[in-house]
Amino acid sequence: MRLLALATVLPALLFGAAAAHAHAQLDHASPRVGGTVAPAPRTVSLWFTEKLEPAFSTIEVTNAAGARVEQGRARLGGDRTVLQVGLKPLPPGTYSVHWRVLSVDSHVTEGRFSFQVGQ
Amino acid sequence: MPRLPAPMAALAALISFVPLSDASAHCFVGSRFFPATLNVDDPCVADELSLPTISVFKNEDVPSAQQLDISGEFSKRITENLGVSIESTWTRIRPPIGPTANGFQNLESTLKYQFLTDPTHELVLSAALSVEWGNTGAAQVGAESFSVITPTFFFGKGFGDLPDTVRFLRPFALTGQIGYAVPSSSSRTIFGVDPDTGESTFDVDRRARFLVYGGSLQYSFPYLKANVVDLGYPDLINRLIPLVEAQFQTPVANDFGLGLKTTGTINPGFILVADKFQIGLEALIPINRESGSGVGVMGQLHFYLDDIFPTTIGRPLFASNTGRPTFGN
Repeated sequence: MRLLALATVLPALLFGAAAAHAHAQLDHASPRVGGTVAPAPRTVSLWFTEKLEPAFSTIEVTNAAGARVEQGRARLGGDRTVLQVGLKPLPPGTYSVHWRVLSVDSHVTEGRFSFQVGQ
Repeated sequence: MPRLPAPMAALAALISFVPLSDASAHCFVGSRFFPATLNVDDPCVADELSLPTISVFKNEDVPSAQQLDISGEFSKRITENLGVSIESTWTRIRPPIGPTANGFQNLESTLKYQFLTDPTHELVLSAALSVEWGNTGAAQVGAESFSVITPTFFFGKGFGDLPDTVRFLRPFALTGQIGYAVPSSSSRTIFGVDPDTGESTFDVDRRARFLVYGGSLQYSFPYLKANVVDLGYPDLINRLIPLVEAQFQTPVANDFGLGLKTTGTINPGFILVADKFQIGLEALIPINRESGSGVGVMGQLHFYLDDIFPTTIGRPLFASNTGRPTFGN
């Protein structure tokens, strides 16, 4: 009886899983995660797996000394799955990106990665 | 009610002094996601359902019997940091000679408190009290008539704070647990009659106390792709978390004359993480003959209820806010 009860739950779960939203994960980024780019990029763009709430989604970009190098606030593009922020002119070096986003189903996720600007 | 051993008393004292911190839905700690592991519990409280978990192996009997376990576990957050879970397992034991036995194991329930979540260092700590409820299962599959109470400490640590020179080690994470399993009664006296002499006899059935411990070492390809370097692997690879789990139990008290040894298994395998569920598959390698015979296998389908039902059963019963996060921690 216990197994039967559990088994009847599975279809509902699988159907629900197909219909629901999930935590927003970073799908890919430009500049690429861990990559090297030249010339220096003018923006950082992040593509996520879910739609985002703009008021609670941020990107910070810092240089090797920890100084902020992004320009303005992060803004959503496309179908609210792309978060983008402008950059100040970047000399060659290593830069860190720290993002925190809120998906439309109110889950917070965050991550950080670095990229390099070559000569 | 058994007294808590000194380490557990110290842990209880520590809990009362550690400030509360924000917990995320299933086990996200900063950039780190700790998946639900199959054999040991993950270190977070969550709204999740493991259904089913299926394991097939040759058990410790001599000669070994083929054992099939099918279990389900439902975990529910009461608050952001406090959760409960309940687990039920159906077992079929097929010995090489003799009849097959089947039935449910005792019900298990757990109350867990996640008392530290440090996103910067990808560190999470929690403490739990688990109870296996005696007399709720079938004796023919080994369900005991007594309850077992197990206070347990859990930790999870991601290595995302390692320096750039070893950045390919950052996707590694370690989880662990250590608990002290105490039977609700330490012994049972069995009275009988000697068939040869006709005299009354008695025997004392001792119930040992065990240290129950284990953990997992994981390498997260999702973490590698999103936080270290995007190597352009196929999506299937980018969703994989290869891992090795291990779980042991060692008799530490009231085991005089029982001849008990440390038992356990080492489980290499992988977890495939989808958006709203995960699939896990592991080998079960017994560490000695007392732990089983040959290599078994364990598989699990696990649902993230907080993603599937984010506004209903996927939320804590008593949420600390309206769902909007507090930034800046």
